[in-house]
Amino acid sequence: MSGATDHTGIQPGEVTSFLTDSTLCIGCKACEVACKEWNGISADGYDFTGWSYDNTAALGHSTWRHVKFVEGEITPGIGGNSAQQLSWEFSSDVCKHCEVAGCLEACPTGSLVRTEFGSVFLQPDICNGCSYCVISCPFGVVQKNEDDGRAFKCTFCTDRQKAGMMPACAKACPTESIKFGRLDELKVEAQVRLATLQSRGMTDAQIYDPTHTSVKGIHSMFIIRGEPETYNLPPRPEVPTIYLKDAWKSAAFEAVAMVGAVVASFFFLGRKG
Amino acid sequence: MPGLGTSVGRGGATTAQQSLADSDAILIMGSSMAEQHPVGYQWVVEARERGCKVIHVDPRFTRTSATADIWVPLRAGSDIVFLGGLIHYVLENEKWFKEYVLHYTNASTILRDDYVDAEDAGGLFSGWDAEKKKYDPETWLYKGSEPKKENGQSLPGHHDAGGGHAKDRGGEAGNTTEFETDDTLQHPRCIFQVLKRHFARYTPEMVERSCGVPQDVFLRVAETYAAASGRSKTGCICYAVGWTQHSTGVQIIRAAAILQLLLGNFGRPGGGILALRGHASIQGSTDIPTLYDILPGYMPMPFFDADSKTFEQYIKQHSTEAGLWTKFEDFMVSFLKAWYGDAATKENQWGFNFLPRVTGDHSELGYWLDMKDGKLEGLFVMGQNPAVGAPNGRLQRKAMANLKWLVVRDLVEIETSTFWKDSPEIERGELRTEDIATEVFLMPAAGPAEKSGSFTNTQRLLQWHNKAVEPPGDARSELWFVYHLGRMFKGRAARERTPKNDALNALTWELPTEGAVAEPSAEAVLAEINGRDLTTGKLLSTFEDLKRDGTTMSGCWIYTGVKPAENRNVANERSAHDALGHGWGFAWPKDTRIIYNRASAAPDGTPWSEEKKFVWWDEEKREWTGKDITDFKKDMPPDHKRDLSKGGLEALDGDKPFGMHPDGRGWLYVNSGLKDGPLPTHFEPLESPVENPLYPQHQSNPPSDKKQRPDNPYASTPHDSRFPFVLTTYRLTEHHTAGGMSRSLSHLSELQPELFAEISLELAELTGVSPNDYVTIVTPRALISARALVTPRMTPLIIQGHQIHQVGLPYHWGWKGIVTGDVANDLLAISQDPNVRIMETKGLVCNLIPGRHPAGHKALDELHELLEERP
Amino acid sequence: MSEAQSSFRESRLDEIRREASQFGTVQQAGIRAAGSPLPKASPQTGYYQQHLLKEPQWTPLVPLYFFVGGASGSLGVIGSLADLIGENDDLARKARHMATAGSTISSVLLIADLGRPSRFLNMLRIFKPQSVMSVGSWVLSGFSAFAAASTLADILDTQIDGSPIATFLRTIGRTGCTVLGMPFHNYTGVLIGATAIPVWNNRVRSLPREFGMSGLQSAVSLLELSGETDSNALNAIGLVAAAFETWEGIELLRTRDRELAPTKQGLTGALIQTAGVLSGPLPIALRLASLFTSRRRRRLRQAAALSGIIGSLCLRYGWVAAGTVSARDWRIPLNIPEPDASTSFDRRAADSLTRRTP
Ligand SMILES: Nc1nc2c(c(=O)[nH]1)N[C@H]1C(S)=C(S)[C@@H](COP(=O)(O)OP(=O)(O)OC[C@H]3O[C@@H](n4cnc5c(=O)[nH]c(N)nc54)[C@H](O)[C@@H]3O)O[C@H]1N2
Ligand SMILES: Nc1nc2c(c(=O)[nH]1)N[C@H]1C(S)=C(S)[C@@H](COP(=O)(O)OP(=O)(O)OC[C@H]3O[C@@H](n4cnc5c(=O)[nH]c(N)nc54)[C@H](O)[C@@H]3O)O[C@H]1N2
Ligand code: SF4
Ligand code: SF4
Ligand code: SF4
Ligand code: SF4
Ligand code: SF4
Ligand SMILES: [Mo]
Repeated sequence: MSGATDHTGIQPGEVTSFLTDSTLCIGCKACEVACKEWNGISADGYDFTGWSYDNTAALGHSTWRHVKFVEGEITPGIGGNSAQQLSWEFSSDVCKHCEVAGCLEACPTGSLVRTEFGSVFLQPDICNGCSYCVISCPFGVVQKNEDDGRAFKCTFCTDRQKAGMMPACAKACPTESIKFGRLDELKVEAQVRLATLQSRGMTDAQIYDPTHTSVKGIHSMFIIRGEPETYNLPPRPEVPTIYLKDAWKSAAFEAVAMVGAVVASFFFLGRKG
Repeated sequence: MPGLGTSVGRGGATTAQQSLADSDAILIMGSSMAEQHPVGYQWVVEARERGCKVIHVDPRFTRTSATADIWVPLRAGSDIVFLGGLIHYVLENEKWFKEYVLHYTNASTILRDDYVDAEDAGGLFSGWDAEKKKYDPETWLYKGSEPKKENGQSLPGHHDAGGGHAKDRGGEAGNTTEFETDDTLQHPRCIFQVLKRHFARYTPEMVERSCGVPQDVFLRVAETYAAASGRSKTGCICYAVGWTQHSTGVQIIRAAAILQLLLGNFGRPGGGILALRGHASIQGSTDIPTLYDILPGYMPMPFFDADSKTFEQYIKQHSTEAGLWTKFEDFMVSFLKAWYGDAATKENQWGFNFLPRVTGDHSELGYWLDMKDGKLEGLFVMGQNPAVGAPNGRLQRKAMANLKWLVVRDLVEIETSTFWKDSPEIERGELRTEDIATEVFLMPAAGPAEKSGSFTNTQRLLQWHNKAVEPPGDARSELWFVYHLGRMFKGRAARERTPKNDALNALTWELPTEGAVAEPSAEAVLAEINGRDLTTGKLLSTFEDLKRDGTTMSGCWIYTGVKPAENRNVANERSAHDALGHGWGFAWPKDTRIIYNRASAAPDGTPWSEEKKFVWWDEEKREWTGKDITDFKKDMPPDHKRDLSKGGLEALDGDKPFGMHPDGRGWLYVNSGLKDGPLPTHFEPLESPVENPLYPQHQSNPPSDKKQRPDNPYASTPHDSRFPFVLTTYRLTEHHTAGGMSRSLSHLSELQPELFAEISLELAELTGVSPNDYVTIVTPRALISARALVTPRMTPLIIQGHQIHQVGLPYHWGWKGIVTGDVANDLLAISQDPNVRIMETKGLVCNLIPGRHPAGHKALDELHELLEERP
Repeated sequence: MSEAQSSFRESRLDEIRREASQFGTVQQAGIRAAGSPLPKASPQTGYYQQHLLKEPQWTPLVPLYFFVGGASGSLGVIGSLADLIGENDDLARKARHMATAGSTISSVLLIADLGRPSRFLNMLRIFKPQSVMSVGSWVLSGFSAFAAASTLADILDTQIDGSPIATFLRTIGRTGCTVLGMPFHNYTGVLIGATAIPVWNNRVRSLPREFGMSGLQSAVSLLELSGETDSNALNAIGLVAAAFETWEGIELLRTRDRELAPTKQGLTGALIQTAGVLSGPLPIALRLASLFTSRRRRRLRQAAALSGIIGSLCLRYGWVAAGTVSARDWRIPLNIPEPDASTSFDRRAADSLTRRTP
């Protein structure tokens, strides 16, 4: 039992991260609600999806934490935590705070910045709603609020972090499924946890942290059971800036071709007489 | 909670949620703890991570099942067979904890010769009065115990109108300090042998036949759970309303208590039974009751013409000859001094006659029927939403239309306050606004953050909350409302000094108030509850100091110690300094986190094992010591021999941990205090599609009260072809009970926006229902519509060769708020279990048809048509 | 329902479960997933077949901006070079003016998409080479300035002969328009190509080319529609651009990547394919035909121009809309293969099973 004032002990300049461990999640959605409460985000509709118990469906401009519900084969005598079977998995999703972030790279206004905690922060007073980040995020996280005209996403509770508090979602989580801490420490913890889970026979457990792609890793890692696809986690996310070289090369080639065509045409055909 | 009360002595969770982390196995049954107690569930998760096996037994695969190691689907309403199966397994396979059972339970006690077990009489115990449909429990007594009788009849706890709350402790029917025992446990009439015979038929085959649990799955549970027993292992059972809201609810809990006693799991870390309570202070509302048949501290409300002719008679009937209840008079006199102050004198029997008498069934459901019948004029509804939360909603709403006045105090405008203008009955033309004469007052209530006070949570823990903001507008606290209303009543009574007003005039009613609205001080109330020494005016720090000579007062003896000094409020202390949370809040009694913890040591006072070392006898200091306050006399050595003349705990042996019982033992067999038998026996729910496989002559619990009448009809089970499916109701994490507090909040409403029915793929296939379609669910009482949530988490069960389908229905919706839906409780019947008069919400029958029911009066036409149809 | 069952599940229901888990929907009678798939999250269906990527959130003004920008960039180049290289003063002046108008309209369109003018200023807070949007904003701003400069020079020329200011503005303006017209006319291809949207980033190499040449063709077409139907140079440029588009169109058709499905199917496919025809073979044919007739030349050139412009508009709208369709494809970012026919559900087997009744 810890009070609300306890200090995370993390100083600005230290890179922080989440490690969201689905094997500890109980699907209570406290994180989702705590995020909305802390950040004053509105509800995003009252639609019954029929997708298990998930009625908020996805991350978006008004949902910065989102708990996914994955139903599997159910066998009497085997609970969801058993090694043999994955039956009803819950996984709390959030902005990945990419090491190389598509949204941040794409942002023309400088609204998206890298914070002193290594996270990706969208400054709403600078965002102009160009929505270029929206199509540049390989995880489909950031979204423009059409009514407001600006884009929004998880702030990593930078305000709380600066005050030495842990993010609201992590604080609300009753089972410590959402761990918050220093990135390097959590990376180690993730490996230890994975080893534990595998030693319990959960061979399908894995860490989701795409370090092998141009994203170069994320600051909100996940431990999941089963394939990342099930949770809409892309197996090979790429930062769109990797396409830039090819695109500009091709643009330059075409531009030269255009100028050539114009020059040649007018040179040969554009003279009177 | 007489299930626990009669078994071990107190009607409260025996352990703390933190202690779950020390368990080796946790059986969660009759609750979806992860969903309804998510914060406490962290310790289950912690235990699981430490290697504890978590078992969830539930008709549905819930979020709890999903985070457990073993999930067992069972048919709603078959819990006693399952638990009986476990008891049978433990007994047959010698898995019981011998030393514990021998010393700490009544296994060796021998029963009277005229006791007849239900197993030998087709489901009825001896003492059954078929005409009155109730038991005379005299034959249930121990051999050698003298029955307590007044006028040759009427044993306490068995009045027609009485609920069972008052008798939580049991043991009032006779002097059970005297009895015969057989420590070899071989005597055919000793409780151990009776138990063995009683559960002999609760075999794995029977479990499969009745619960639909395959034998191998059952045996896996049995092996896993039975292993959490013995000197170095413990297991805990967690339950909530998945058990209580049955016509056999109390007996289900009894079965769990028997199992825990056999496995030696009470009073030990990681052991016990965790009764998961509901609303933030529901435990508080039985400690300082909102119930009609008990007074604060589990003291019985006097009954008219029965136990209450004189104070002496009342005290005699409800005191015991040994154990803590020998102090009943101390508690009662102190309590009367708290209520009536100087007006309570020895001469006027401490004001005993100021107390009203119970004259009939004044339970919630009872008075609701009275209201329907026009016998009630007015009603205060404070912090409740019966138009949605109570069974047979149609009847309830029509009943309110018969009132002259109705006061609703709530945070938001709830259905109960608007039934007269927009209820389904108005929409369907069953009621017309212009015909309703009820004058409705809706008063805004201050929410918890807008007032100070305490909550007593699920583990008997009082936690103080300080007012964080001023209530908005005219919103006022309950304390303000009741205090000032009472002041006005008293003012009137003072002007009109008739005998009728004596009690009001005697009542102490002075509280310091503060602020512009004259808000009474909640801490002053706490001080009164805590109690004082009236000679010195000092606050008391333990109930042991309460006296019967009128020199002490206490509003609720079990809470004494919560405010031991003027400048100290233990409930408001927040620095936990150990794993059990000592230093944070106050757990009654005496800040004991695990009660009966004398049992955590062996009879000789040494810890059972190093792993489960908890409270033990320190021979050097000559006192009990350890990780908790000892729930025992601190300086009473393990080898103490009982001294009946001293009363209290000294009237018990030093190796008897269950100090509320006159024999200091945990009761495998309950000799009195329960209205449906000394041992749990399986009966089908009042509505069930299955024949009682154990007692074909008695389909449902014989003394339960169906309140069957035209406006509260039942299906003719077991074979009512109109209602082929089992229906059970429950909660969702995302909403709270009748919805006033969650359907009014957008951040919660969006999470579960619509009423749905959870059904299996098989049932969807059978009924031709597509996912997300609307379906209509019908019972004899009503029909409602919901969306179909087709899910593999629901699975049909094979019962006696038939596929039994179950329909799951959360009950949070009504017609007001951000998200609305039909009222699930319209489907339920008002029924009363024999002991606590709770309704059966967890197991009934229904039909499910595709499509939405029509609007307006056509809905009723459809209902009538469906009820007539008997294919 | 009363028939005895020895096991928990029947084979028929197992089949339903299998189908549900594999495809997210169930075809069989009994479980009619009417309007809604049988909910399922799995490695085969992703998370309830819900798309992972967010859809582009641009207003319909953006593709128009792409069109106008593409044309004005090219007009800037033509306007700056045509009279220097050939003797096409009127044509060049017209092109310059149109470029100026175009760049102004472009800014207005952008601002309209963002909502208010001040939001455009935020674009110019910083310059960020790795953000195509940033580069584009600066290019647009610069280009607008240079185009305005050269237009101003033209105006000054008509007032004062040989003004040194006009000369200065002309030199600066034309150099700028040529240099910035190059990226301005095709950066939008880079803009959408270098994103997370599969249909776009799959064509990240060709989109700048396609958009650029389409812009050039629009420029030519606009000039022709404004009366410049006699210029053979314009016709030649138009032919080059159309030939290029034809080649790109064929290339697109030949590429079988599933990311490109939205360019071949549905409304977006229709738009893009139409765009291919309207800005490729059709203008080529018309332009070639115009070479062989003098009486109908004007008409044919105008027809080719119109075809080119509509083609270019279709191209922009088609590609942007294809982005939306592509973002909704849940399979691609998750790398989930399309279910192929061999594993698909056998309808006949389902029909042969009788439905049980209660
Ligand atoms: N989020 C949330 N938390 C709550 C509440 C809330 O409304 N919302 N309400 C609070 C209150 S007032 C209470 S009383 C508690 C109740 O807490 P719980 O008892 O946990 O609540 P329920 O969901 O009503 O029922 C629990 C489970 O019983 C199962 N069940 C139904 N029938 C049977 C049966 O016959 N046998 C067995 N073994 N299980 C059965 C249901 O499927 C369900 O999963 O929760 C408290 N906590
Ligand atoms: N079918 C079915 N029915 C059930 C159950 C079930 O499992 N199945 N469970 C039963 C159980 S266990 C319970 S506890 C009941 C609950 O049923 P109710 O008690 O009728 O339902 P609540 O919605 O909890 O009502 C509490 C009301 O108090 C208001 N409130 C909150 N705080 C305050 C306050 O400080 N002052 C005042 N004056 N009002 C306040 C809230 O806004 C809310 O409207 O439902 C029962 N009904
Ligand atoms: S997940 Fe998307 S929004 Fe979040 S940092 Fe990465 S690219 Fe940006
Ligand atoms: S919408 Fe806002 S945050 Fe996103 S790229 Fe544009 S300016 Fe940056
Ligand atoms: S870190 Fe803060 S903003 Fe981000 S999801 Fe958690 S609570 Fe929301
Ligand atoms: S708060 Fe924690 S346990 Fe609850 S849903 Fe979120 S991550 Fe899971
Ligand atoms: S709502 Fe309150 S009482 Fe219930 S689990 Fe959450 S914190 Fe505990
Ligand atoms: Mo409750």
